[in-house]
Amino acid sequence: MSLYSTAVKKPVSVIMIFLGVIIFGMYSYLNLPVDFFPKMDPPYISVMTSYTGANAEDIEQNITKILEDGMGTLTNLKKMTSTSKDNTSVIALEFEWGTDLDNATNEVRDAVSLVDKELPDDVENPIIFRLSTSMIPVMIMTASAEESYIGISDILDDKLIQPLNRIEGVGSVFMIGAPIRAININVDPRKLDAYQLSVEQIGQVLAANNINLPSGNLEMGKSDIPLRLEGEFENSSVIKNIIISNASGHPVYLRDVATVQDSLKDIKSYERANGHKTVRIMVQKTSDANTVTVANKIKEKLKKIKQTLPPDIKIETLLDTSLNTQASISNLTETILYALFFVVIVVMLFLGRWRSTLIVALSIPISLIAGFIYMYISSNTINIITLSSLSIAIGMVVDDSIVVLENITKKLERGGFARESAIYGTNEVSLAVIASTLTIVAVFLPLTMLGGMTGMIFKPLGWVVTIAIATSVIVALTLVPMLSSTILKYKEPDKNTFTGKLYFLSQAMLTKMDDFYENILKWAVGHRWLTIAGGTFIFLSSLFLLKFIGSEFMPPQDNDQISAQVKLAQGVKLDETIKTAHYLDSLFSAKYPEFTVVSSSAGVGDENSLASMFQETGNYIITYTIALKPFNERDRNIFEIGEEMRHDIEKLPEIEKFYVDPGSSKNQKMGGGSKMEVKIFGENFDKTNLVAEEIYNALKKIKGTKDLLISRDREKAEMKLLINQEKMTFFGLNTTMVANAIRNRITGLTATKYKEDGNEYDVIVRYDEKYRHSTNDIENISIITPTGKSVKVSEIAQLKHYYALPNIERENKQRLVKVSSAIFGTDLGSIQQELDKKLETMDIPDGVSIEYGGSIEDMQDSFSDLFMLMALIIILVYIVMASQFESLSEPLIIMFSIPFAFTGVFISLYLFNATINVISMIGMVMLVGIVVKNGIVLVDYINLLVDKGNSLKQAVIAGGRSRLRPVLMTSLTTILAMLPMIVLKGSGSETWRPMGITVFGGLIFSTVITLVLIPTIYTVFGVGKIKRQKKAIEQKTV
Amino acid sequence: MKAVFISYNQSLTFEVQAILDKLSIRGFTQWMDIKGKGSDKGEPHEGTHTWPELNNAHLSMVEDEKVDLLLAQIKTLDEKVPAQGLRAFVWNIENSI
Repeated sequence: MSLYSTAVKKPVSVIMIFLGVIIFGMYSYLNLPVDFFPKMDPPYISVMTSYTGANAEDIEQNITKILEDGMGTLTNLKKMTSTSKDNTSVIALEFEWGTDLDNATNEVRDAVSLVDKELPDDVENPIIFRLSTSMIPVMIMTASAEESYIGISDILDDKLIQPLNRIEGVGSVFMIGAPIRAININVDPRKLDAYQLSVEQIGQVLAANNINLPSGNLEMGKSDIPLRLEGEFENSSVIKNIIISNASGHPVYLRDVATVQDSLKDIKSYERANGHKTVRIMVQKTSDANTVTVANKIKEKLKKIKQTLPPDIKIETLLDTSLNTQASISNLTETILYALFFVVIVVMLFLGRWRSTLIVALSIPISLIAGFIYMYISSNTINIITLSSLSIAIGMVVDDSIVVLENITKKLERGGFARESAIYGTNEVSLAVIASTLTIVAVFLPLTMLGGMTGMIFKPLGWVVTIAIATSVIVALTLVPMLSSTILKYKEPDKNTFTGKLYFLSQAMLTKMDDFYENILKWAVGHRWLTIAGGTFIFLSSLFLLKFIGSEFMPPQDNDQISAQVKLAQGVKLDETIKTAHYLDSLFSAKYPEFTVVSSSAGVGDENSLASMFQETGNYIITYTIALKPFNERDRNIFEIGEEMRHDIEKLPEIEKFYVDPGSSKNQKMGGGSKMEVKIFGENFDKTNLVAEEIYNALKKIKGTKDLLISRDREKAEMKLLINQEKMTFFGLNTTMVANAIRNRITGLTATKYKEDGNEYDVIVRYDEKYRHSTNDIENISIITPTGKSVKVSEIAQLKHYYALPNIERENKQRLVKVSSAIFGTDLGSIQQELDKKLETMDIPDGVSIEYGGSIEDMQDSFSDLFMLMALIIILVYIVMASQFESLSEPLIIMFSIPFAFTGVFISLYLFNATINVISMIGMVMLVGIVVKNGIVLVDYINLLVDKGNSLKQAVIAGGRSRLRPVLMTSLTTILAMLPMIVLKGSGSETWRPMGITVFGGLIFSTVITLVLIPTIYTVFGVGKIKRQKKAIEQKTV
Repeated sequence: MKAVFISYNQSLTFEVQAILDKLSIRGFTQWMDIKGKGSDKGEPHEGTHTWPELNNAHLSMVEDEKVDLLLAQIKTLDEKVPAQGLRAFVWNIENSI
């Protein structure tokens, strides 16, 4: 017994099975975590090696090169880049997406240990570091304060960081730019000299006094009492009264030679949020935790925490990665609901009966729910990819049900009985339904085989659509006949009811449309060569549109963030940098109402902090992180705002280099706009510098390039202390002693720790600020020799200016310089074309070669993947059709609709001012399967009519007329399901808009063309005629 | 006793069975999924892609007085749904065991 007759005969079982599916689906849906993208581990591993004292070139030759050679043969290694700079070598290994990173890490470790022997002896062990998505902060908050600023570090640690750390899923919480309390002892070197004292001596005295010691036990009578000596500073004000020496019988107090301040550690950094002094708090999650869940828990906890904080401490959220995710997800959910609504309306209009509409519409939730079950089982998440897959599937899952229902209705109209009509009606079309679904599966299943980053993104899409479509076939073959046999009633609707009126109105309009189409078809078949020539002309002329359509890797996405970096001249003091930062802070806050938090930081801060891994720091660098209002609450997108910020920054003369990065894509690799990058390979620094400069200038002249940067920094100024060995040893000193002495006076000597309330604070002794400003100050530093004499630094050493070698970057073992540019108001492809022209006229010296990197490289990689995929899919679709029709020529006729789908794509991309990118390419790939479906329906029916004995022309016209409604209905459901994707604006919508536009335009155009051109071409091929002749011959011979 | 052969569109299976039951005609032989074509009109039922419909057939031995009743009911059914295809033929039983 067949599936459908069982289903019809056992309605209760069918309902129970689907009820079970729905319940499991709901369970899956409720338990599915939400995320922005599917989980993907970035395939990057870095190897960091430090070799103190070596300059960039030494590092490159002695460490980077050796390690690179050792790691050249790693499996799945895609790219190896390295940076060699003073003291450190960093090698970044990029693997193919989808590589097992545990394995890869082990391989890297093996490779490193193999070459370890060849490295110089005193090199520290290379550190192997695997980048993971959990490193990217889930949330960044700013805590600004006025009165409590000095103690903010302790307050936050107690009340904010500890509680947050206890939340499940939170990996680590750390502060950036927190002020640290310290006791600063600023000495006057002249007074020190006068008293014959040194910084080190002061340090020793302080350390020796600030101590608690047990001093044995005191036996008194019957008791034994421990004795303790308590010398620790009771409060910070006692320090200045400590006697440090004796000068001719008079005590010398610390206050005589120094000022003692209980204040903050002199951190070379500047942190502000909306102009207030602030501390940034970064929260990272554990790698398996879900961003949205963790962020929600944090926000809940924050509400409670805020009540416990002093009133002047304000906590603001600078970055909340979950917000964008949630906004995008709710947007897409809205899109899906609209799509569902449109699809139901279309079905209702065409079928005109609410019972039929209900049966067809039921297949939507069931198929989508199957998608959720898949996501749950495969431990996927609800993300923008899986949700858009559902949105794509909505329009297609009804197709099969429509075909089945239509055939059952036809049987009922002819007087069949409910049960039999349902069983045999389904039986008749079951094969056709399965075959046309196979063409769709032939498109989406190969998507799951894509490699690279595009593969990581589109794998879930392929699976979800395939599963939803497969479920829809099952629904169409079981639930639809079952329901048709029970609830479908065939009777003329009552003209007096509303639904009855609607039915007759829609049927009248549809019949008019049928007539209109029949006339067109008659004309086209009558003038078939003219029609075909017209079609060809339209297709060829649409190719010219390609010139006006830009191309890029991914559509730029507005994620409510902008980051920026401003560099003053190298070597500019932090104070000067702060002045500029102040100005920009107030300018940005006042000028842009769209900004919610403007956070700026400058200076080095904690060199060792994790934060320094995410951004370049320096006293002359200001880094901005800006949070904006949600996308739908502002008129301008981040790219327009970013462009205006560029104009603002440009006006400041002191700024040497800057970039504005809407979307913060530099740190996250996702979101934001495309980046143009030209890589110049070559061993010779001068030659490559020249070429880089030339390309920089060429790019500058191209419209739309912004934030041009050359990756190799200019040589930087440094001061070197050259010691005269002879003189030094003469005074009984050695290099370490001299170096320490200078360090203690300039950077400071941490003499001891001052304890208060269980916390320890550094007591730092050093020269007062005004005595450590010039080269003279350095030269005037006195060092006490072992014999007790005092020597000035100028006596034993010389200060010299010199220029340090720049950082050396390499890619795949070759030195390179990168020239990069952001893009505004144009697209990647056009800039590349213009630059190509300019590169041709350039004189590139020997040994220098040029390649495109950045988004262009990504684009080329994924486009070539996608072209391959498209070829594969076209072949697969042909295979499915050829075996369905048992013919080689008919699939070809049907495939004529594919080029016109592309014509439609070009037209709509042009009209909507969109670009060709990975997303629209995927849309085009999908179109291949969707548009041939129309052709299949049409040709299949025309064949049928020819077989039934109609003449070719009759068959084409009658077949066309009869199939107009199903073709229009299935196409319209898909087209209208895409409409919300195009029209609705909100977070994340930019990403999916190109796909909507592609499918929308491509399908509309190809449907119109298919309806006219395919029947015309069919008559030209005269397939029907040949078939009939064959048949006639066969019959004669039999 | 007469033999009545009823050949009909599968879609009518339930109805035909109902008529037989109503007349208390218990015995029958049934063929499922068989091809058929009318002598002068109607669509062929061949179970192919072109002519997807199929027939079922009943052969029942009916007491003489019920034959006319049966034919009349079958005719009514056929007239109700002429497009489906339903025919009945009657012949004599020579002998039986």
